[in-house]
Amino acid sequence: MTGRAKLFWRLMVRPIGREPVRMGLTILAVALGVAVVLAMDLAGTAATGSFRSSLETLTGHYNFEVTATGGVPEEIVGRIATSPINLAISPRMEDFAVVAATKKSVVLLGLDLVGEAEAIHLKSDDGASPSAPETENIATDFSADDSIWAGSSLGWQKGQHVSLIIGDRERTFTVRGTYDDQNQPAIVMDIAAAQRTVGRAEKVDRILIAIPESENLEAQTRQISALLPAGAEIRSAGTATDENRKMLAAFRWNLKLLSYIALIVAAFLIYNTISVSVVRRRAEIGIARALGASRSDVLLAFTGEAAVLGVAGAAIGVPIGRVMATGAVRLMGATVNALYVSSRPGPIELGANSIITALVVGIGVAILAAYAPAREASQIAPIEAMARGRREFLMRVHSLRDLTLAAIFGAAAWAAAKAPAVGGKPLFGYLATLLAIVAGTLAIPSVVHAAMKLFGATLQRTSVAALLASRSLLGSLRRTSVLVGALATAIAMMTAVGIMVGSFRTTVIQWMEGEVPADFYLRPAGNSSADRHPTISAELADKLATLPGVEAVDRLRAYQVSFDGVPTTVAAADLRESRKRGHSDFFSGRPAEEVLNELRSGDAVVVSEPFTYKHKLKRNDFISLRLGTSLASFRIADVYYDYGSERGFILMDRSAMKKYLPGDAPSNLAVYVANGADPAAIRKEIELAAANYRVLIFSNADLRKQAIVVFDKTFAITYALEAIAVFVAVMGVAGALLALVIDRKRELGLLRFLGASRAQIRRMILAEAALLGLVANAAGLLLGFALSLILVFVVNKQSFGWTIRFHWPVAILAGALSLIFVATVLAGFYPARIAVRLNPVEVVHEE
Amino acid sequence: MISLRNVIKNYHADGQLVRALNGVSLDVAPGEFVALVGRSGCGKSTLLNLAGAMDFPTSGEVFLDGISTGAQDDAALTKLRREKVGFVFQSFQLIHTLSVAENVELPLLLAGNPSARKIALGRLAAVELNDLDDRMPHQLSGGQMQRVAIARALVNNPKILLADEPTGNLDTTTGAVVLDLLKRLATEGKVATLMATHSMEAAAIADVVVELRDGRIAGLKRK
Amino acid sequence: MRNRAFCAALLLAIFPVLDAPYRVAAPGYRYEFPRDFFAHPEFQTEWWYTTGNVKTADGRAFGFELTFFREAVNRDASKQGAWDLRDIYLAHLALSDLDGGHFYHSERVNRSGPGIAGVDSAGGKVWNGNWSAVWKKDGSQELTARSGDFEFDFTLKSEKMPVVHGENGVSQKADGAGRASHYFSQTRLATNGTISVQGKQFRISGLSWMDHEFFTHQLSADQTGWDWFSIQLEDKTELMLFILRRQDGSIDPHSAGTYVDAAGKATHLRANEFSLTPTSASWKSVQTGATYPIAWNVVVPKLMITLSATTRLPQQELAATSKFAPGYWEGAMQFSGKHCSADILGVGYLEMTGYDHPLRWTK
Repeated sequence: MTGRAKLFWRLMVRPIGREPVRMGLTILAVALGVAVVLAMDLAGTAATGSFRSSLETLTGHYNFEVTATGGVPEEIVGRIATSPINLAISPRMEDFAVVAATKKSVVLLGLDLVGEAEAIHLKSDDGASPSAPETENIATDFSADDSIWAGSSLGWQKGQHVSLIIGDRERTFTVRGTYDDQNQPAIVMDIAAAQRTVGRAEKVDRILIAIPESENLEAQTRQISALLPAGAEIRSAGTATDENRKMLAAFRWNLKLLSYIALIVAAFLIYNTISVSVVRRRAEIGIARALGASRSDVLLAFTGEAAVLGVAGAAIGVPIGRVMATGAVRLMGATVNALYVSSRPGPIELGANSIITALVVGIGVAILAAYAPAREASQIAPIEAMARGRREFLMRVHSLRDLTLAAIFGAAAWAAAKAPAVGGKPLFGYLATLLAIVAGTLAIPSVVHAAMKLFGATLQRTSVAALLASRSLLGSLRRTSVLVGALATAIAMMTAVGIMVGSFRTTVIQWMEGEVPADFYLRPAGNSSADRHPTISAELADKLATLPGVEAVDRLRAYQVSFDGVPTTVAAADLRESRKRGHSDFFSGRPAEEVLNELRSGDAVVVSEPFTYKHKLKRNDFISLRLGTSLASFRIADVYYDYGSERGFILMDRSAMKKYLPGDAPSNLAVYVANGADPAAIRKEIELAAANYRVLIFSNADLRKQAIVVFDKTFAITYALEAIAVFVAVMGVAGALLALVIDRKRELGLLRFLGASRAQIRRMILAEAALLGLVANAAGLLLGFALSLILVFVVNKQSFGWTIRFHWPVAILAGALSLIFVATVLAGFYPARIAVRLNPVEVVHEE
Repeated sequence: MISLRNVIKNYHADGQLVRALNGVSLDVAPGEFVALVGRSGCGKSTLLNLAGAMDFPTSGEVFLDGISTGAQDDAALTKLRREKVGFVFQSFQLIHTLSVAENVELPLLLAGNPSARKIALGRLAAVELNDLDDRMPHQLSGGQMQRVAIARALVNNPKILLADEPTGNLDTTTGAVVLDLLKRLATEGKVATLMATHSMEAAAIADVVVELRDGRIAGLKRK
Repeated sequence: MRNRAFCAALLLAIFPVLDAPYRVAAPGYRYEFPRDFFAHPEFQTEWWYTTGNVKTADGRAFGFELTFFREAVNRDASKQGAWDLRDIYLAHLALSDLDGGHFYHSERVNRSGPGIAGVDSAGGKVWNGNWSAVWKKDGSQELTARSGDFEFDFTLKSEKMPVVHGENGVSQKADGAGRASHYFSQTRLATNGTISVQGKQFRISGLSWMDHEFFTHQLSADQTGWDWFSIQLEDKTELMLFILRRQDGSIDPHSAGTYVDAAGKATHLRANEFSLTPTSASWKSVQTGATYPIAWNVVVPKLMITLSATTRLPQQELAATSKFAPGYWEGAMQFSGKHCSADILGVGYLEMTGYDHPLRWTK
């Protein structure tokens, strides 16, 4: 055993140390692969997995909640409080305030500061008891609408005056006290003042209820349910958080899978590294076999080498991943806020589990990738120890076999792409992507072979460097094709995601042309995100409508609802104006006017495509919605394309919404300028009219621009993941070229004997890099195109329900591919330097 | 054509100073065929490398066609090699990824000669391998490989030919054929040839036999 | 008076009187029932206070207390939202399991809000969450309360007319106009119903006593606490007696009492017409550190009443959970002694305040 260990050490581990740069690159590749996987896992858990709504603060020990669209009528609080059930309640107003000085958004809670425990004992949700807001004079403070109590992490002092933007109003508040918020900042008000501040009279946003656990629990909740109007429901506290978490799962899945690209690329590199080791050490392996090492010893030795690389990579990858996670959380958090729900990322927790997973993934991938070359090594006969010299003969390419397999995998990918989603997740879509990558990888040696032959024949007359480069690459075709495969896979994923995002972007831009017809849009300056709909004062809308030169003002009011356990937005709009101007395209193909007329009856809605996709609904189906105090049923009059919200959108006429929720404060305003009026002058008028309101005014162009900015921010993390994968692949190219240089030392020296200049040697190595880059780009582009079809039409559709129109983002792709090409050539510089510095006399020396 | 004047060459090997050549002076005229004999490590290869402008003397001077190698930069030396020097090696040193013709034309390609292939085919004919130009090196026998190497060494019409144990990897019969060819072509081309060899048969064909011992010329026999 | 003035004191400590003028208790107040059973929002402080001694058929005895307080804190007419703070409603609930040896108590603070707590004169209801007292059309009262430990539902039927304490409609507590309250009691309420404690239900019957008092700022600064008795004797007579203790240890001359004869006729008792004397038996609270005398001698010479008061459960202290409120002792008592030279037994309640620390007044 010790003998074997020694053998293992001498023949396998020690050589690793002899090529520190190349081994270092391989280890770094594994490290980055592991780091990305770990970072996305940690960030995913922090930003979405342990996602909690930022409203879930100071929620104490409450285990149930009563909610209703547009708020729970406040008398329900009295009904529940006096019900003959032993319970505690916490009626709450919940909103967001934007701190005028910092523009930061903070949760604003209106709590019953009298009723909730005696005096004011706010309990934090983890059971620890933050100190009560300090107050000297509750009676006076309560009577003042400007009283707030600030979470300690806001850093405000008692007595300080703070300007807050809530909805479309900015007001000054006085900090009456602070409380230990355990880093979950919130501004607390008394519920009476909060109701006035957020402008929701006679409603509370949520009633939290604590019922002690007992066998009667279910009966008790039924008892409470019986007290509620049809529009309100009792459910487990934090249900919204759970629903959001569920909704975020698809988003998280996609990112998680993207994070594995870098690891896949690293696997290619491990494969390459071990292959090189096997080729180089054929004689040593033969000797070892001749001296009595068994096949499994050899297999073990090389998988062992891979494991060493895996362990080293994972060990370095874990701390890198932790650092990356910080950035990733920020990016993911921004996306979650923009696209889904206002949230507060949890802390990044690098637990033993994450580390073990990272190690297992890193080492596992390394061993798996090394298995094939290690197995080949184990097949080496002892007789090879006697082989004179080492020659790497031309690898025979099993073109027919590989291409047949590629075709089979391609067909399997095609079949998988046709399969439906599993539990809302495009599992088969991912499988199709993987199969397509395998097919591409199998086809790549043949592609490289053909390409090199072609290039060689074409280029040999123009440049001896190109001839030598193409021949050299052909000569090490198996290795080369693995590298091209790695780079091509990275490029393919980048291209695919690039095409998907680009297509999406263009689709959104084109869609906005039709959907954003008004000249100006207004929204409150207060916090808004996919799930928050702060409102603009109704009188401002009225005022704007009377401005000369304004033809009409559309009011849109949106509410957050839960439909079938999935968060959704239900909105109401004046459909007169958009009907006139917009060219909303409906699935039925009917003219917008005809569809919107059906909504006037008040019992029909139109819904967005993601909504129908998520809930498997279609035109003329009926849906039930909790609105205000009612449970109302609506017919789906039609389905429209929408790229504004992944949550899904239900749109009804304003008159219909008013029946259930009479509040007339709009969430957004769309202002139409009369024909012939000067938009710039009208904008001034609007700004003047809105001087006392904190609203944001967007011109049509502004709005589109802003939408695209948000869009791009959303995909920032995707780009980052792609970039890392490509970086790893380019690093692999550098490492591989280095290996090629080292293996061809003698040849390079010979060329010098034959009259090659240093410049020619350098050019030759760079030409090899360029050829690799070129072939990889070509193969990657081709494979990427295939993958993009899967992403656009399968993965995206099944994850999010959007129909994206295919579009080539030519400029971006051309830019990215050129950049990768340049990077690949640059990656050749170090190996070229090594090649040039070789002493020809030494390397050709024959004894 | 090749002129060495009081050449001393030191190497550092494993931290120790090794004097490979110790005051060697030697002249090889155009068309002259000189054999270097001596035991392994006596300095034969070192002398060849110096004569091929692949290395520089520690002291003394090496003149190739009247040009002192010590005074030249790398580019000039490369040019010198391309135009005036050909090498033949013991283990042939063909590039396995290139065909026979490609191997032969390589020096011309490196020198940027536009009619490389034509000249190369001519050279192959001269070594009687004109029908093997499309073969890959591993498809050849040892003697054929060395003939290809000779064709390659002479493809640029060098004034200097340096051969390091050209028959070392060949059996006696094949070796004799190769040597004859080498001698014939060198003489036809008026090439100054310096051949390091162990073999007495090989040395026998030389115009001059120089014996090296411990880095010094121990004897010089002219035919 | 009634004990819970001290509770008012604690409320006052938190909620100082705003400038809004509240009405003070003044002589000549004309009582009218059922109107006066309910709220008097023009006075700052008001309470409804029910205590009782009840038993199961097989003799298992319980004492209970259910108290509703109302404290006006704001009368700003511009704020009429349901959540706007006008009154604070406080409630105390206690159960003395005299045979089980357990004392349970809890408290509640609420605003009226959208029906969370309040007084509904038209509906005949005083409530705080799901603790409530409801007056029925037939004159009976339903008392309901539930906490984590226990719950009860009682029906109370008054055997006598309400008794007004003090003289000329006011119960004077200190020198000076307005240092007084309007104070009446229902001294004999036949009680039936159920108690559930720790999951076990008991059908009970017994006697309850209800106090209702309303005033604005009645005590004076040198009064440090009081001891108050309600006594229901077997011969269908009742006594209410209280002494106000002063800083110097003396008994305030405004201490007073009321005797109710079997026919329901009330007699006012001045401070010098009775004596309440603690014996050496005492109980020290671990929670508050206060030492309470838990056995007393009650003597009313004029009525030929001599009673000794004892309790079966010493730990009937309502230790405050809020830092604002002092602790107090409020417990079920039993009485034995003589009335007009006949042996007599009785039940009742004793309240003792100011033992943990002197009551502090603001202003």
